[in-house]
Formats: sequence, C-alpha cells, structure tokens
Amino acid sequence: MSPDRGRGNPQLEARGLRAGYGRAEALRGLDASVHAGEIVAILGENGSGKSTFLKVVARILSPSGGQVLLDGEPLPSLPRRHTARRVAYLPQSVDLVFPILALDLVLQGRAPHARGFSADAPEDRARALEAMRACDVEDLAERDASALSGGETRRVFLARALAQEAEIWLLDEPTAGLDPRHRLEFLEVLRRNHRDRGGTVLLVTHEIDLAAELADRVLLLRHGRAIAAGAPGDTLTRENLRRAFDVEFRIENSRFEIAGLSNPPGSPA
Amino acid sequence: MNSRRQPRRRHPLVVGVVVLGAAVVAGLAAGGVRLSLADLWSGQGPAGEAARLIVTLRAPRVALAALVGASLGLAGAAMQALLKNPLADPFLLGTSGGAAAGAALAALAGASPLLSPGAAFAGAVASSLGVAGLARRGGRLDLQRLLLAGLVANAFFSAVLLCVFSVASAGAARTMLCWMMGSLSDASFGRLAALLPYAVAGVAVLVFYAARLNLLAVGEENAAALGVDTESAKRNVFLAASMLTGAAVAFAGIIGFVGLLVPHAARALAGADHRRLLPLSALAGAALLVAADALARSAFAPAELPIGAVTAAVGAPLFAWMLLREP
Repeated sequence: MSPDRGRGNPQLEARGLRAGYGRAEALRGLDASVHAGEIVAILGENGSGKSTFLKVVARILSPSGGQVLLDGEPLPSLPRRHTARRVAYLPQSVDLVFPILALDLVLQGRAPHARGFSADAPEDRARALEAMRACDVEDLAERDASALSGGETRRVFLARALAQEAEIWLLDEPTAGLDPRHRLEFLEVLRRNHRDRGGTVLLVTHEIDLAAELADRVLLLRHGRAIAAGAPGDTLTRENLRRAFDVEFRIENSRFEIAGLSNPPGSPA
Repeated sequence: MNSRRQPRRRHPLVVGVVVLGAAVVAGLAAGGVRLSLADLWSGQGPAGEAARLIVTLRAPRVALAALVGASLGLAGAAMQALLKNPLADPFLLGTSGGAAAGAALAALAGASPLLSPGAAFAGAVASSLGVAGLARRGGRLDLQRLLLAGLVANAFFSAVLLCVFSVASAGAARTMLCWMMGSLSDASFGRLAALLPYAVAGVAVLVFYAARLNLLAVGEENAAALGVDTESAKRNVFLAASMLTGAAVAFAGIIGFVGLLVPHAARALAGADHRRLLPLSALAGAALLVAADALARSAFAPAELPIGAVTAAVGAPLFAWMLLREP
C-alpha cells in the first residue's frame, strides 16, 4: 500500500494528545492520524508514550489534554460500549487471579454487544469458538486461561478481538517475550486474519525489522510526541532512528543492525 | 489462594437452596429445647403446640441469621472481585471498624441497645465514605489506595475502641464485647424489617453489576477496554458491598470468616462467573450462618456461644482444608 494514495479522512486521529499516570505525563502533545485498513507500527524508546497512546484509544486512560477522534468524533462524546464494539485492545499480558476458561475470556469480547454485558447466548458462543478456530486456539477453549503460555495467551486475545468484531486492533508489544516458534505463529495468525477481515492495526513494538516488514506506516515517538510518521522506507532512516533511540543503526535491505550508542557513556555530551 | 480448576456443577444454585433449607430446619429445631422433626412438621398435640410456640420465637432469629449471612457472603464475593484479591474480606475496607466505633460511642453515651444498630450503621457508612474519599486520586477510585485506606480506617477505629473501653463502665464494656463477638440474640421481626431494605438494595445493585464484575475480576483495564464505565462500577460495587456489610454488622455485630470463606467455597462449587457466584455466595452465607447459630445455641445450652467465635472455629479449619486441597 502506498502512503500517498488518495485517502479520505483518517479513521483515528490524535490532536495535541496529552495523557499519563498521575503527575507523570507520557504523552505530551501527540499528533497522529491513522487510516482505515492500515497496519501502523508505533516505535519509540521506553516511556515515549506508545502504550499510553493505545490505552487512551482503548479508553482505559482518559487524556489530560487534547483529544482522540474516531471517524471525526471525539471519543468522550461516544458511548463507551459503542467504541468497545469498534476498538479491541490486546494487552501484553494479563494477571489472572480467579480461574477462567480461555473460551470465557474470548466470550468477554462479546460483552460490549450484549445486554447488561452478559454475553453467553448460543450465537455468542458460536462466534467465540469460530474466532478461536481462526486463531488456531480452538483446542484451548476448555483450558484454564492462566495455564496458557505467553504465545497462546496472545492468540487467545486476538481471538477475542475477532469475537468482539472490532475494526481497530490495538496490540501492545504482541511479540515481546515469545520464543521464535510462538512469535512466528502469532504473526502468521495476525497476518492471516488481517488479510481475511481487513481492519486497522496499531502495533506497538521494539522490533524495527518487524515494523519495516509488516507495517504500512510507521509512527516514531519520542518524549510523548511524534517525531516522524510515514511509509517504513521513508520513516525508518538512520537519522530518525538516532533521534528516536539515541542509537546508531546500520541499514541494509530493510535489515536493521544496531551499531552502537550515539552518545556512549563517558563520551563528552 | 488461586483455584485453578474449573468445576462446573450443573445446578449449584439448587444445591445451595437445599442446603439452606436443611440449615433452616436445623436452626428451628436446635436450641435449649430440642424439637423433633415430627413435632415441627405436625404442630399437633401438646408437644406440637410447644413446638409451634418455640418456632415463632426462633423464626426471627433464624431469618436474621440468614439475612446477615447472605449479606456477608455476597459482600465478600463482590469485594474479592472488585479488589481482584481472593483474600479480600468485607471487613477489610474499614466498614466493620467504623461500625464498632459507632456502636461503642453510642453505648458510652448510654444509648439503649435498640439504638445502637443506627449508631453502628452510621459509623459504617461514615467510615466507608471516608475510605472511598481517601482512595480517590485524580477523580479515580484507586483500588490499591482503597485497600490501604481501609487498613488505616480499621487501625484508627480500633484505637477509638480501645479508648472507649478504657473509660466505659464494666457493664457497658461487656455489652460492647458481646456485640463485637457477634450476636443474633436481639433478633426480632422489627429488626428484620429494618435490615431488609438495605439488604435488598445492596443485592439489587450487586446483581446488576454481576456481568461487569466478571470483566473487572480479570482487571480494571480489561473492563474499561470492553466498554464498562469502570469508575461508576467500582464506586457502586464498593458502596453496595459496604452498605450490606454495614447493615449486617449493625444488627449482628462482627461475624468474621463468613465473607472470606463463603465466596471461596462457592467459587469451588460453581466457578468464577459472578452471575452464578453472587447468588450462590448469598445462599451459602445464609446457610453457614444459620447452621453456625444453631450450633452456638445448642452446643452448651442453655449457655450461648458468641456466633463470631463459632464461625471462626468452624471456618478456619474449613479454610485450611480448602487450602490443602489446592493442587
């Protein structure tokens, strides 16, 4: 996909967005726009506001300033359940204290569609099972979700996003901590479902190679602001990566190799 | 304690109703005068007449035990989901401390025992609102802070209690102590009628939030991302559970272990879906307290054991057994 093809209004837009936890602001005036159907990789150093951005879009966090527009409408003006039907959030991990079946976790994706949030009508179950099949986790349906591996959990949450029938998927470091096989399996399932169903993907990651390979567009953050956005080839340049990470990269054929710190400790600032 | 198994009994609520029914019959039969099932059933003849009379005397007490037990079991299940902590207990968040301080201050002021439910309830409400106020941060109810604020409130009110004890007369101190060990001996239909509206309101709110509690029990972020207005859900669940606890404590004193043990047992029986877990916790709490009260009245009749001591004596080994059974 070409980033400069003629496109309409953005599906998702951040304008001067500020948000954070308590007094610490992770986002300090973020401007960004995302168009329907795009895979957008969000890169930046730890604390640059990547996950915070996803949480604001998922309405887990309320912004302290600026706004997010969904199809041109500010998020607070839309009912929460309405946005929850359109936006799915896939956490990095989940700390389960009480027993819950993987199927029940996927069924929770139907909650925004159900009266009183109690989704277990037969058609909800059918949809949840179908979503699990699409993510190769059907066999895990009757397993306790807390006993699943990291890779299985991520695929279960992807299945939940499908069951939710959301058109925007927010993925917070979906490949972090996965072994090579589970990482490939997850990416394969993600690609396949995105191809089959369309939809917009916002993907926070530290894997620059993955961003270059998978994403239609890349958003580079630093200190809670966007420092570059656009097609991977135009955005993932040595200069931009140095500004984002203070790290020198060698780039060959879309392979990114770390050459060293831009300002090694002990060197004159 | 994390139960990792996924028990799925078909009709846990039916089991709960049957167990509660058996407990109620035992509660009506047990006591200083033991009644046989035949006397209870027929109500004929002199023995039957006496049985009917005793039942009318015992009925309000059994009903109060059931209502208090149901309130504590339900409040415990809701608190555990809200705090995402299987060790949470309805007394953890300052409600019981506030109620105890309210009752003690009223007793010190020479208020009649009939007045103290009001004072205890007022103390519980004031404490819960104070705890919620302390836990607010940037317009949000912070659950970590809620826990800490509850600890602070309980510590403060136990200091108040100790001060009141040190200046109270021996008689007043003994009354207070009995109240703090839990007692159903003041049961009457009037008291039942006073407790009922609070219990019904608390149950209604918690049942309304049952499906949202499933989402909250996985995590606050989880619920928010699925469209739950988490701030109003947290606030309303906390206030409803606190009101249930406050009303129960005001009329029956501090009866420990019910709110901790019952949700655990219910979860082991019915799984962690709060649409089933909440009603089952209410049924099981009612059954446990009715049975414990029957035991308290009959074990050393005509002397009566404090019900709080019975629930702890029965509950602690039961809880230990459940811990050991964990895989």
